[in-house]
Amino acid sequence: MILNKSEVTNILDKLASEYRVIAPVEKNGMVEFAAIQKGEEAKLDYANSKKPGKEILFPQSEELFNYTVDAEGLRMEDKVDSQASIIFGMRPCDVKSWVLLDNVFKNDQYTDVYYLTRRANSLVVGLGCNEPASTCFCSSVACGPFAKEGSDIFLTDIGEAYVVEGISEKGKELLAKLGLSEAGAEATAAAAKLQAEVKADGTINIEGMAEKLSGMFEHPYWDSLHEKCIGCGACTYLCPTCHCFDIADEATDCDGCRVRNWDACMFPLFTLHGSGHNPRPTGKARWRQRLMHKFNYFVERYNATACVGCGRCIKNCPVNLDIRQALADIQALD
Amino acid sequence: MNKTESIREIAKKLLEEKKVDLVVGFAQGSLPLRSTPYFARTPEQADNLIWGATCENNLANFVRKRSEKVAVIAKGCDVRAIVALIKEGQVNRENLTIIGIPCEGMVDRKQICQAVGCKEILEATDNGADLVVKGKGFEQTLAKADVMFGSCKTCQYNTPVIFDELVGEKVEAKEADYADIEAFEALSPAERSAFIAKEMEKCIRCYACRQACPMCYCSECFVDCGAPAWIGKGADKVDDNALFQTVRVLHLAGRCVDCGACERACPVGIKLSILNRKMVKDVKELFGAEAGVNLEDPPALNTHQFDDKEDFML
Amino acid sequence: MRNPYLPLPMKLVKNFTETSDKLIHTFTLEYQNEQDAENFKYEPGQFAELMVYGKGEAPFGIASSPTEKGILKFSVAKVGVVSTALHMLQEGTTVGVRGPLGNSYPLEQLKGKSLTIIGGGFAFTTLRSTIQYILDPANRGDYGDLTVIYGARNPGLLLYKDELAAWDARSDINLITTIDREVEGWNGRVGFIPTVTKEVAPKTDYAIICGPPVMIKFTMPVLVECGFTPERIIMSLENRMKCGIGMCGRCNVGSKYVCKDGPVFTKEQLDKLPNEY
Repeated sequence: MILNKSEVTNILDKLASEYRVIAPVEKNGMVEFAAIQKGEEAKLDYANSKKPGKEILFPQSEELFNYTVDAEGLRMEDKVDSQASIIFGMRPCDVKSWVLLDNVFKNDQYTDVYYLTRRANSLVVGLGCNEPASTCFCSSVACGPFAKEGSDIFLTDIGEAYVVEGISEKGKELLAKLGLSEAGAEATAAAAKLQAEVKADGTINIEGMAEKLSGMFEHPYWDSLHEKCIGCGACTYLCPTCHCFDIADEATDCDGCRVRNWDACMFPLFTLHGSGHNPRPTGKARWRQRLMHKFNYFVERYNATACVGCGRCIKNCPVNLDIRQALADIQALD
Repeated sequence: MNKTESIREIAKKLLEEKKVDLVVGFAQGSLPLRSTPYFARTPEQADNLIWGATCENNLANFVRKRSEKVAVIAKGCDVRAIVALIKEGQVNRENLTIIGIPCEGMVDRKQICQAVGCKEILEATDNGADLVVKGKGFEQTLAKADVMFGSCKTCQYNTPVIFDELVGEKVEAKEADYADIEAFEALSPAERSAFIAKEMEKCIRCYACRQACPMCYCSECFVDCGAPAWIGKGADKVDDNALFQTVRVLHLAGRCVDCGACERACPVGIKLSILNRKMVKDVKELFGAEAGVNLEDPPALNTHQFDDKEDFML
Repeated sequence: MRNPYLPLPMKLVKNFTETSDKLIHTFTLEYQNEQDAENFKYEPGQFAELMVYGKGEAPFGIASSPTEKGILKFSVAKVGVVSTALHMLQEGTTVGVRGPLGNSYPLEQLKGKSLTIIGGGFAFTTLRSTIQYILDPANRGDYGDLTVIYGARNPGLLLYKDELAAWDARSDINLITTIDREVEGWNGRVGFIPTVTKEVAPKTDYAIICGPPVMIKFTMPVLVECGFTPERIIMSLENRMKCGIGMCGRCNVGSKYVCKDGPVFTKEQLDKLPNEY
């Protein structure tokens, strides 16, 4: 199907009357995902958002429930968000990150209702990348500028229009309601050409990485990798797959709420015991954890690499600690 | 010999003669307009050291509480931080060799990005006074002076105030210029409040500012303290974000060396220098004190005179 | 979908100062809803998140045994925000409990076996649960000889003093208590856990051990020396936890989450994981 760019605003307006539409918007000089009221707020000609798409399902700060304690005991009000949402124009790397995060927020015993309820009520319209940035390496990590995994509908920008593909049943159903016209042969061919030809950096070799890292916990390489790291949380907070969090109470007297906030393995307090003992007391141990978690532990647990190659950690690191270099260094070790 | 060559030569000699165990400097970064902190431990590694207009990090951050003998490649603001840290007992001068670099200013990627319409820069060449940046379908020449960090544009201590070796000629200090702060002060309280709120709305509480600051080294930052929890940890509360920065600025009163490392590190581009430089300006005006400009002056917070101004107290 | 983050309400019926330094209190909680008492099915070794309103929640091993009906017990050292708040609670206050969480000691698998249980300091809580469970008349016949080695810095810091005395009087449990340094009036052993373990030289089928990292570190070789093979040494880890359900990411040792895959591991399992606990 085809969606002319001149029609996008109308379509978004129409969708916004029925769903919560979350789209890239420009705010404070940065692109971020936000609920829009009008189609014209969406900024689809963007490279990528500053904060990753994970925040749509897993916001940086979120109220889980609030509670009151009084003579009658404990009363709780759950804050599960079940509003039907359409995420319009998310890049394939961020879409893929949702697929990876699904592993984390549902395990054989427990379900994170906050994440999963939003997830179940979200429909994702993925948007292919015609011009991946130099820091993008999605093509190296089982993703790619036109990877459709996780998208319900997928858009390919062919200039004046988007070629629209229904991917999931949910996506196809929505498309059926929108009444878009069929894409002509020329448009379909243009989209196919882009999808076949556009690649991000595919030279980051992660083949055998998990196996290699398995035997590397005590390797001297970790002594140097972390050295320039200043221990901030920019890489983890801006990473679409990093999902560590903290739970805290905010309360006055007997009315309170339980909140969760993003947390980061880069912070020493993250693992500090009440006793004072810290299993990861050094920058070395923390960087090893970050890299191991993405490229070994996560693989072992969920059979997938916890990196989608979006390059945000590379662009935003205050000291230019480049994960691509770290991976190449590790591959080069004997 | 250019500065990079001189630095390598000095570093190599120090390492060869085992006068130091480690040279902290910069190496070529992985992206255009980026350098990266580098730790040379062998004479061979010294060949990776570089100098240029992108050596933006404050390396004083890496020399606190070191047990080994260290040499550091330090520009004017790095040395101010080192001086302040020496006074605070965080750096042992005996074990530190300062290879000072008179600094002509570092270029600001955020300003450069804006100058080219925020298109991706794939290549950058430094031609001395100019910077040639190239990307897909564009090439632009920018005067370095125009795209320098704010802190560099007004730097009065380009030439290190102390050093063991100096690489290159001394650079003329710029005139003190607090035009940015004066403009801020001229705003009404409501306007200032709105400005701060807008900036703090961006904060993601990654603490890159704190971590990049050579003077922020508390073993437990008040933000992290759980009992009492002085401040909410969520990034969605603009007031808490502002409180974090306000207290940080107060903790840096008379200690901030105005290097701008906090603002450079911020991944979301918060104009932190407005708050820090306001404090720097006030401390200078009220107490005539500037942090880290010589080894002799006692730190501003360590001195009290009966005629100290107190009219800022409520 | 059941929400694993919601606590159930319980009433604090007893806030008991357990140790002479007053830093460890034992809290006895009663279910406020009968249904919760039915649903809260746990085994020795599991833990739960205790919540103090307005302060937050923190994980603690369950010190009571499932054989003690209608209540839960926790012995908590005053170290953080939540534990400090707990210590100050009045009896009768409502608290929140989220759990049971984590795996348990493999008591089903241990049936018919003889056991040595070794504990140090305030990490004795889930071991108390285990011992109570085994000593219950309904279960005692399922297990062989039971040796317990329990140590603290001084006699005042031993937990559950009345129960220790009661156990000592029984013939179906061999209780050895020890303190670090000699004090007047102490008739038990003197010496650190690893030394005492060496002296006792237990020869049981399995060993269960729980204590501070340094105690574990030095006791482990002694157990190996005594002939315990790695799959017969069972221990419980105490990494910092938050969610308790394997999601928040902080308690991992390698690819395992202590909160969900543990806290109970055999030495055989831990030997395959990085030494990061």
